[in-house]
Amino acid sequence: MTLIYAGLSLGAVYALVAVGYNIVFIASHSFNFAQAQLMMVGAFVAYLGYVTLKLPTVIVIIMAMTAVMLVAAFEERIAVRPVADHQTQLITTLGFGTVLTGLVQVIWGTQPLQVPFAGGDEVLTFLGGRMFPDELALVVFAVALVVAISAYTQRRLNGLALVAMSQDEEAATLRGVSVRKLTFAAFAVTGLLSGVMGVLIGPKTYAVATLGAALALKGFVALAIGGFGSMYGGLIGGFAVGLVEQHVARYFGSGFSNLSVFAILLLVLLIRPTGLFGRVQERTV
Amino acid sequence: MLTVWAGLRKLPSWAFPVAFAALLLAVPLFDVGYEATRYIELSLILALVVSGLNISLGYSGQLAIGQAAMYAAGAYTAGMLSTAGHTDLGLHIVAGGLAALVVGIVTGIPGLRLGSWSLAMTSFFLVLLVPDVVDIFEEKTGGHLGLSGMLGPTLFGYVLKPADMYLAIVVVAAVWFAVFRNVVVSRHGIAFQVLKQSPVLASSLGMSVYRTKLTGYAIGAVPAGFAGALLANLDLYLSPEIFGFHLATGALAASILGGSVSIYGAIFGAGIVQFNNDQSSEFAQYSLIFFGAFLLIGGVLLRGGVAGVMRNAVRRLDRAAGIGAAVVPAQATDSATAMRPISGGMLEVGKLSKAFGGNQALRDVSLRAEPGKITALIGPNGSGKTTLLNLVCGFYRRDSGSITVAGASIATASSDRIARLGIARTFQTPLIPPGITVREVVISGRYTADRAGFLSAVLRSPHFRRVRERDLQRATEILRLTGLIHLADSEAVALPLGMRRMLEVARALIREPKVLLLDEAASGLDENEVRTLASVVRQIRDAGCTVVLVEHNFDLVLALADRIVVLARGGVLAEGTPAEIEANVRVRDEYLGVVEEKDRQVSS
Repeated sequence: MTLIYAGLSLGAVYALVAVGYNIVFIASHSFNFAQAQLMMVGAFVAYLGYVTLKLPTVIVIIMAMTAVMLVAAFEERIAVRPVADHQTQLITTLGFGTVLTGLVQVIWGTQPLQVPFAGGDEVLTFLGGRMFPDELALVVFAVALVVAISAYTQRRLNGLALVAMSQDEEAATLRGVSVRKLTFAAFAVTGLLSGVMGVLIGPKTYAVATLGAALALKGFVALAIGGFGSMYGGLIGGFAVGLVEQHVARYFGSGFSNLSVFAILLLVLLIRPTGLFGRVQERTV
Repeated sequence: MLTVWAGLRKLPSWAFPVAFAALLLAVPLFDVGYEATRYIELSLILALVVSGLNISLGYSGQLAIGQAAMYAAGAYTAGMLSTAGHTDLGLHIVAGGLAALVVGIVTGIPGLRLGSWSLAMTSFFLVLLVPDVVDIFEEKTGGHLGLSGMLGPTLFGYVLKPADMYLAIVVVAAVWFAVFRNVVVSRHGIAFQVLKQSPVLASSLGMSVYRTKLTGYAIGAVPAGFAGALLANLDLYLSPEIFGFHLATGALAASILGGSVSIYGAIFGAGIVQFNNDQSSEFAQYSLIFFGAFLLIGGVLLRGGVAGVMRNAVRRLDRAAGIGAAVVPAQATDSATAMRPISGGMLEVGKLSKAFGGNQALRDVSLRAEPGKITALIGPNGSGKTTLLNLVCGFYRRDSGSITVAGASIATASSDRIARLGIARTFQTPLIPPGITVREVVISGRYTADRAGFLSAVLRSPHFRRVRERDLQRATEILRLTGLIHLADSEAVALPLGMRRMLEVARALIREPKVLLLDEAASGLDENEVRTLASVVRQIRDAGCTVVLVEHNFDLVLALADRIVVLARGGVLAEGTPAEIEANVRVRDEYLGVVEEKDRQVSS
């Protein structure tokens, strides 16, 4: 059971990355390569708040949310808005993420920094397995976030507008939806959420500059398994990746955990390229 | 000043890179010291990696960031060969290139299926795997401690000293860039650009989209393998840390900065990035920030990178010096050039049905288009004309029914295969790749009709030269025929709509198709252009081709078609000669009636 809990909490981290990808993807059909780096910045801000400045949790969370929202909004302005096509956005958002990694390295160095968790670090025992409170919080947060976002996109007008835009940008524009504003809002909201995510993942992953690349990739695998644009798919994909990684590491050695995730990615792409919850679209001339 | 420029431009374009290579070869004579030599060596090795990125990213449009992993594959292959006692540098380079090629193909196959991000991510993932794989084979690779104990390189038994290694690196880089240039300026380079612009266009020209992408991606892996083998022999030590994300993003930054769609931009970009890497450690800690900034600047401000800027400068200087401005007067269609006979094939569509969800776009449609005849397909918007065309071309899968070309069923063939069966088409919105000339656009139509492989393009073999000869000759004929010959060397995308439509006809025609599908070829053209188009289409018919014309211009259809098929609401409403159709009451109601009503609304 402990192994399963570890897998689920790690999977929750990946699911959160996938949620971040998805919000931007649904809003603008672009892919934010810097998503994981945004969360990494959140984790470092949490470290700054908790350890360096010794602030209370509420303030730390607000600080992380504000800081990462500003970073994400800035990203939209310089790396996404001026670039028309999605292929180039891949390059510019990757560039932005690389700059973030570089800055974080210069400011905080390359050693992993431990971020404390507000809920303490006493081990919980549950159904014959053990897990840390921060791990439990991660899983609960990931599930709750996905449920909330799904409800929002289905019930609220703004949510529907987002979906409409991802389906057909031009049609949405003609209906009076401001594509620009929505894209900007999507990045800002992603930033807010990434701030919270950063505070939550920090205790598990530590704040470390190399976090970005690994998280970006595993989050992508979660997305590929679940299907692009599917929130629940991303959640399930994340848990699947986390569980496989933990089990392979336990039974075959940690050298094989990345390989196993890569194998899953290849299998999904070969067998079901649209993911488990994705839809096929017929191409048009 | 301008006369100097004009003189320089008279030199063949390959003279400058050759001179640069000669200069690099001569560097040791000037005793520049260890640091400068090493800087050049590492820059050239990085340039090899970057040039591979340019092939896959710039030319075939696939964002692949895994070059670092292929570099590692080449390096470790060489390293393991060397520790096993095989020290020949030539062997290392070949083996390194092959190892990288294998890694490229194996990872490209799944990643390319989904296109842009999937490939970006699967290839990026490779970089994450390098240390793991190296660790798993620790006995052979030295694990994370690094691979040491390599023997010094030899070449045919001759032991290479450090000075010889320098020469070897320059020579390998020079040879590779010559190969790279030969591929890119050949028809394969054009094919890559076609694919990058539009996979739909590429497959309608008969290119297999997937295979062409994979070829580009795989070829891009080879130089990374060469680079790895060179690096291993230069340092005689390898560690997995060399091949991490730092290198991957650095190589990408170099490619974007130098210009992905360029040959020598890779050398420039690599030089700059290597400079960032190599400085005192104080500077190196900011290198990631620089790489990220390069990517941002390259993506946002400098589309085309430094090479793009250079190209514009050359163009401006050319204009100032009056080079290439010899204006050929425009001429009408040269009817003296006879069209070569084309063996047309009957297109038969039987009981074709297609539904999109609940919308029955076509219901049991049957029609025949005969060789040497123009068959027009008309009908109001949404009547299923374009759907029919897309089914014939294989862009949609039909629900039921049959399609045969010259008696052969197209069954469930892919769109590129159908194109190779002899179906050519034009598009409602002309699809013309940017950055290539009118002549090259026309030649791209022959890519699969008259093949010449990559190897023969690299070696400029006699076969390649013959194919190229035919390409040029046929293109000139077709351009003369369509009245575009005076524009042969202009950039194709910059042409006005009417000429781009004609260019599409020319590109379709050069393949001598059995069946030619024209999708609203006359829309948006002025009267003169319509007249020219009509005369060209008649000539194509008289040459024996089966022409299918989808058109809204009723007068043009009446004047041009031998047979008219009227579609309405997914079914065939009427069929007959122009005179019959003109007199048909139902057609007037359904089709022309709609038009008249619209006119009334507009005028009231």
